[in-house]
Amino acid sequence: MKINFTLNHQPVSIDVPAGITLLRMLRDYLGVTGPKEGCGVGECGACSVLLDGLLVDSCLVLAPQVEGREVVTIEGIRAPDGGPNDLQKNFIKYGAVQCGICIPGMVLAGEALLARTLHPSREEIRDALTGNLCRCTGYQQIVDAIEATALERSRLQEQQKV
Amino acid sequence: MSTYQFVGKSIERVDALEKVLGTAKYVGDYYLPGMLYARALRSEVPHARIVELDVSPALQVPGVKAVITCDDFVDHGNFGFPVKDQYVLAYQKVRYVGEAIAAVAAETEEAALEGIKAIHLVLEPLPGLFDIDHALDPNAPQVGPDRADGKHPNFLDMSPVYKGNVDEVLKQCDVVLDLKYTTPHQEHAYIETEGALAIPTPEGGVVVYVSCQSPFIDKGILQMVLGLDPARVRTIIPPVGGSFGGKDDLNYYTSAQVAALALKTGKPVRMTFSREESMIASYKRDAAHMHIQLGASHDGVLRACRAKHTFDSGAYASQTPFTAWRGSIHAMGAYRYDACEVEITSVYSNNGFSGAFRGFGNTEACFAIEQAIDEMADALGMDPIDFRLKNCLRLGDETPHGQILTQSVGLTECLQIVRKASDWDRKRTEYSRQAAGDIRRGIGVAALFHGTSLGAEGIDSATSTIEIENDHTIVLTSGLTDYGPGSRTVYTIIAAEELGVNMKRIIMLRPDTNTAIDSGPTVASRSTMVGGNAVRNAARNLAQTINLAASDLLKCSVDQLYRVGEDFVGPSEEVVRWDAVVDHARDMGLVLSTYGKWVAPKIDWDHHGGRGTPYFAYHFAAHVAEVEVDVRIGKTQVLNYWAAHDSGTVIFPEGAYGQVYGGVAQGIGYALLEEALYADGYLQSVNFDTYLIPTSMDVPEIKATFVQTYFSEGPYGAKNIAEPAMVPAAPAVLNAIAHAIGRRIRDLPADLEKVVLGEALRKKGSPVSCKIGLKTK
Ligand code: FES
Ligand code: FES
Repeated sequence: MKINFTLNHQPVSIDVPAGITLLRMLRDYLGVTGPKEGCGVGECGACSVLLDGLLVDSCLVLAPQVEGREVVTIEGIRAPDGGPNDLQKNFIKYGAVQCGICIPGMVLAGEALLARTLHPSREEIRDALTGNLCRCTGYQQIVDAIEATALERSRLQEQQKV
Repeated sequence: MSTYQFVGKSIERVDALEKVLGTAKYVGDYYLPGMLYARALRSEVPHARIVELDVSPALQVPGVKAVITCDDFVDHGNFGFPVKDQYVLAYQKVRYVGEAIAAVAAETEEAALEGIKAIHLVLEPLPGLFDIDHALDPNAPQVGPDRADGKHPNFLDMSPVYKGNVDEVLKQCDVVLDLKYTTPHQEHAYIETEGALAIPTPEGGVVVYVSCQSPFIDKGILQMVLGLDPARVRTIIPPVGGSFGGKDDLNYYTSAQVAALALKTGKPVRMTFSREESMIASYKRDAAHMHIQLGASHDGVLRACRAKHTFDSGAYASQTPFTAWRGSIHAMGAYRYDACEVEITSVYSNNGFSGAFRGFGNTEACFAIEQAIDEMADALGMDPIDFRLKNCLRLGDETPHGQILTQSVGLTECLQIVRKASDWDRKRTEYSRQAAGDIRRGIGVAALFHGTSLGAEGIDSATSTIEIENDHTIVLTSGLTDYGPGSRTVYTIIAAEELGVNMKRIIMLRPDTNTAIDSGPTVASRSTMVGGNAVRNAARNLAQTINLAASDLLKCSVDQLYRVGEDFVGPSEEVVRWDAVVDHARDMGLVLSTYGKWVAPKIDWDHHGGRGTPYFAYHFAAHVAEVEVDVRIGKTQVLNYWAAHDSGTVIFPEGAYGQVYGGVAQGIGYALLEEALYADGYLQSVNFDTYLIPTSMDVPEIKATFVQTYFSEGPYGAKNIAEPAMVPAAPAVLNAIAHAIGRRIRDLPADLEKVVLGEALRKKGSPVSCKIGLKTK
C-alpha cells in the first residue's frame, strides 16, 4: 500500500506491504539504517524515532500509522551545516559513546526530553532514558551529555530573550 | 612522571562522530544488490540424535536459493579451541536448544523462514543432563565427546592452585567458615545481535563482514571448514555493537554458514539474528556452584582457603577451560594465606553452552570469595575494610600461587580511597545501628585482583602496522578489534604521542585480515597493554625514520632536533613542517611503512601442580555500594557507588571512566536482575521483556577514581580496565544488602524473592518461548 509521510523534513511516498512496521519500512524500503532493531518488542529503544515530535519505538508502529505524519530519525538530527548538532557534539565530548548501537536512540530520547524542558534534573534525564537500553556505558556519560546540552540551550534561550 | 601531549588528556573518540550521526554501518545495515537472507534451522530440543535430515523440501519453497548442512563443510565443519568439539552445523547430535542444524539462503527473510520450516528433520530425543552436580555420575547422560583417557566424557577440565596443607592450617584456625554460593548463567545482552555477511569473490573465495571479536580466528576457522586457500578468505570487522566476550564462537560459525551459502549461490548472503534467536542460540556466562572454606585467627589474620567450584560449560567446551582456569587463579581473592587449595572443575551439560563473558571466571569466583571474606569479617567482629586491609596483597608479597609481586600493586590505596570517598566509617556505623523497619540501608565493599591479558592461556603478542600515505595521513592497523571499549582511540593517542603529530592525521583502521597482522584474540582486556605496546613500537620505528629525514633536512644530528607542535626545529632555530619532512624522507628513498610487535613477558604455570606465575601483572580495585532495600517487596536500589581502580597509567580517561560505569552497570545487573535460567535445557527468558538488564534508573551515579601505579611493561605505565570494572560489583552490592537486612543471599541474583523469602520460588519451566522464538521473525 502507498504511504505518504514526512521523513526528516522531506515528503516521502512509498509502496510497502501493509503489515510491516515503521522500522522495517525505514530500514528495508527506504535505506534509513540509523534506527536499529535491538529487540523488536518495544523494550530496548534502539529503533527510537520521533513521531510528531514524540519518542516512539518504531518496531511497535505499523507503517500505515505514519500516514500524513512527521517522522524524524537520527539522520534528521543535524546542525545546519550537516554536521553534529550541539547534543551530538556533547555525546562525543562527554565520552557518551561506546559501541554506538544504542546511540541513535539515545540522541533522539535526549532531543525528545529537551523539547519538553531545558531544565531537567539528572533524575529526570535518567527517567527520560528508561525506554532506551545501553549495555556499554552505564548511562552516566549520556546523562552528562544531555545535562550539558540542556544548560547550553537554556543559556542560549535566555540570551535570545534579552 | 613525564608530561604527555595526548596520553591522559581529554580526547574525543575516533569513531564517535559516525555513531552520533547514525551513519556507522553495522553488519545488519548492509543491503547489497542481489543479497540473500540466511536463516538457520535450530534445535528445539536440548539433546537428541539426528535421525533424519532432508533439506531438499526447502529448495521447493519460492525464493529459497540454497540450503546447507554439516556435509557442506570439511570434516563436517568440526572446530573449536582448546577442545575441537563444535560443528558449524550439527553433526549427528544436537546438544542444546538453539544449536544450528541447517541453514537456508533466500531472497527474503520470510522465504528463508519458510525454507527452514520446510526442512524434514527427525530427532530422537536423548536423556538430558541439566544438573551439573551430577554431571560426573557414572550413569549421567553423555554430553561431551568420547575420550580415550578413561576420564568421564562429561569432565572437561580441572584447574588447581595449591599452597601448603589446608587441612593442617584449618585445624589451627580459631574461626572456620564453610560456605556455598551459586551464580546463574548470564546473557551478554549486547544491543546489536549476531550477524555476518559473506560476499563471494570472482576467484572463488569469500569476503566476510562479521560482528565478532577476533578476526584472525574467524578467518582461520573459515579457511579450515571451507577448505579454502588462506589467500581466498578475508574477514573484515565492521563496527561491532557490543560484545563483552560474547561475539566469539557463535559468530564464527555464523560466518562459516553465510560463507558456504555465498559460495554455493554466488551471491552475497547476510544472516542477522532476531533477539530471540540471539538469546537462545548464543553462549552465556557459565553458571557456577562454589564451595569455600575459610580459616582465620582471632586477631584477624586470614590463614587458609579452600575453594572447590564447578563451572557449567554446557554443550561445548568453548572458552570454559580458560574461564575456569582464570577463575581458579583468582578464587582465593587478593589475600595472603598460609595454605590454599583451589580446584575448579568444568563439566558438560545440556544447559545451552557457556563461553567468554567480561571477567571470564573471575566474575563468578570473586562473587563467592568476596562475600566469604565479608562473612569472615563479620564472624571476627571486624570492619570489612579493616579486615581486607590487614590481609590483602601488597608490594613485595608472595601470592598464593608463589609469585612475588614486584611492582604496581595498588589495592591498599584503592581500599583507602573508597573508604574515604564513601564516608564508609560513618555510614557503616549508622546503618549497623538503624532501627528495625521496612526500608533499610546498607553499605558494602569488595576487593579485586585481576590478572592482566592472557596469562598462561597462550602466547601473548600483538603487531601493528603503520604507514604514511601520499597525502601525509598516517594509516595505522591492529589485529585487535574495538567492539566498543575504545582501543582504536587508545591506539591513535599512542601513535600521535610517539610521532608528535595531531591525532586527526591518523586513520586507525578497523581490523581486516588482508591489511592487519594476526595479533591473537581480542579478549582478556589485553588491547591497551599488548596492542598498545605494539602500536607504540610501530610508531617508534616510524618516528626513527622521520627523525632521520628531519636531521638530514636540518643538517644536524637527531639529538639536536626538537619539536614545536608537529614542526621540527633544528639547532639554528630553523623550522620545518611535518609534511616537508615526510616529503624529504620520500626523496631520500626511505620507506615510510613499518610495523611494531610486542611480546608479553614470559610467564610459567604448572597446570597440574597449581603453582607458578600465572600473569605478568594484576589490576587491583575496590568498590563500595550503598543500597536501600525495601524488605516488604524485596526491591534493592543502589543509591551510590564508588569504584577505585589501579589500572596503571590511564591513557584515554573518557574511555576508562566509560569502562568503569558500564562495568559497574553490568555488575549491578548480575547482582540484582539477571538470570538466564535454563529449565530442562530451555532458556526461560528470550527477549528484554523477561530478561531484564539495568536501565538508566537502576544504575546510580558512580564515582570512579584511578590509582595510577606505574607498570613498567605497559605503554606509558598502563595496565587494563575493561573486565576488572565489572568483577567486584556484584559482591559489593550483595555485601551491602547483607549489611542492610542482616541476612546473606548467597545465590545470584538477589531478586525480589530471594530478598523477601531468602530463596528462589520454584517455577515450572516451559519450552514454549524457545520454540516460538526459533520459528518467528
Ligand atoms: S527494537 Fe524497537 S524497542 Fe527494541
Ligand atoms: S554504547 Fe553500546 S549499547 Fe550503548
